[in-house]
Amino acid sequence: MPVISVDTFFACALMVLLVLSAMAATSKLLYPHMSKAFDINTAERYESISKYLLLNDGTPSNWGQNIQTTLETFSLAKTGSNTLYELDIDKVSRLNNANLHSVSYPQIFTTLEIPDVSFRIEIKPVFEIVTNFTSITEGLNETSYDFEVLTEKYGVPVPTELKVYAVANNHLESKQTYASNGKTFMNITIPNDVNGPALLVVFARSISNSKIISFNAYSFAHNSNEPNSEGTFLRLSPLNYNLTASLVYPEINLSDAYALSFDYSATLTQIINDSQSSIYIIPRLLDPSPTLIVVTGWNYTSFFTEWTTYPQVPLQTGANFSTSTSLTNVHAYTYLVTIDSALYKCTIWLGGPRD
Amino acid sequence: MYDLAWRSKRLKRENVGQIRIIEAFLAVLIIFSSFTVSANLTVVQNISNHDNMALTGLQALVKLDSDGSLSKYVDDEDWTGLQDVLNLALPPGIAFNLTVYNRKMEQINMDTISNGGFSSQQISFVEYVCASQDSNFRCYVIHLCLTVAT
Repeated sequence: MPVISVDTFFACALMVLLVLSAMAATSKLLYPHMSKAFDINTAERYESISKYLLLNDGTPSNWGQNIQTTLETFSLAKTGSNTLYELDIDKVSRLNNANLHSVSYPQIFTTLEIPDVSFRIEIKPVFEIVTNFTSITEGLNETSYDFEVLTEKYGVPVPTELKVYAVANNHLESKQTYASNGKTFMNITIPNDVNGPALLVVFARSISNSKIISFNAYSFAHNSNEPNSEGTFLRLSPLNYNLTASLVYPEINLSDAYALSFDYSATLTQIINDSQSSIYIIPRLLDPSPTLIVVTGWNYTSFFTEWTTYPQVPLQTGANFSTSTSLTNVHAYTYLVTIDSALYKCTIWLGGPRD
Repeated sequence: MYDLAWRSKRLKRENVGQIRIIEAFLAVLIIFSSFTVSANLTVVQNISNHDNMALTGLQALVKLDSDGSLSKYVDDEDWTGLQDVLNLALPPGIAFNLTVYNRKMEQINMDTISNGGFSSQQISFVEYVCASQDSNFRCYVIHLCLTVAT
């Protein structure tokens, strides 16, 4: 074979090899950047959508309070608010599936009119309360219960001021204490002639900011069997400062109902009572705190307590991205929002179809 | 004569092979210079990540300022309270360092307002101006640095 042929073959082979490897390397190097550029545009669009949901009041603007109107455009801001990221208490409550008048995800999805974007909304207190039952001491006339209360954010202790209510049949007592290092022990004493099960309601207010507040309720047996799960006897739906208590069983008799916040407590006034439901007026308590509503009653000879909050949080509504395999590009945006003067954490997940 | 012509022709053919090799090396040069240019383009993504964190910090400051509580912490020089409330307001995994200046850009906070962990080089910066809601008008410039906690 002539030398020139060897040289040409070697040069051509080298060029082909280099061109192929360069093509492969260039595409490998540029593809992430190209997809990232797409992600940047998508992220900006999703961020704008998430802000739109929290900064506009929707159409009609009173769609939260007025269940007769048809929701045309979905958004959550309070109408006429001068504060950014202030949400309407009723619009938020209607996102909770437990509410009788909740709006479904398909309804929201349709009214949002963005067919290529799925979303999920979560609203919850800024930090969590964990209530652990530790011991019981039975006396002749009364029984004492000991609890450990932890206030924390993702496991990090949050110094708080605590307000605790114990609710049982014709019984309401309260106590106030501090969890200065995010942990405290407390004792509740209930007379033995009071019927249970009892409900321990805990409010925790951040020492650094009185608008950052969390709550929890813990049901426990007292002169009774173990308590049933929530919603066994009543479906509670707060809306427009009215509480609708829908009876699960027709033989249920309702007794006292209470509205509790950090600083105030009140007995609810019943305005309508029929065989299927009762309606109570929820008082407008002045402190920046969610109102925790407790309704007590009897099912035959069994006493029960049911509770909900107004605004009806924590809530999660929308698409479930955790099990989705057809969606990628899921972006989450977390905001600090105000509902009825108290601060909550709102996370919005937005996702589109795979590119 | 014939031998000389044959040698000259052979030399030319040999040179053609060498030129092809030079071409190949020129191609290598062009391709690797394109690598260098494209590698620099990825910087854009980092800017976007910075923007997201800065927006989170800015939203937290706006929310705290909406009821005047941000300026109240500064008026009261309650740096611990400000640090605690930022710890609650910012999402987990974000480290922050906050500095408060007066309108002459003199630092007011003598204590550090931070939750530590500032070893990352990717730091987002937010500048926020808030006014005191006290009867004496005061203006504060707040510098908030944010990074991913390590």
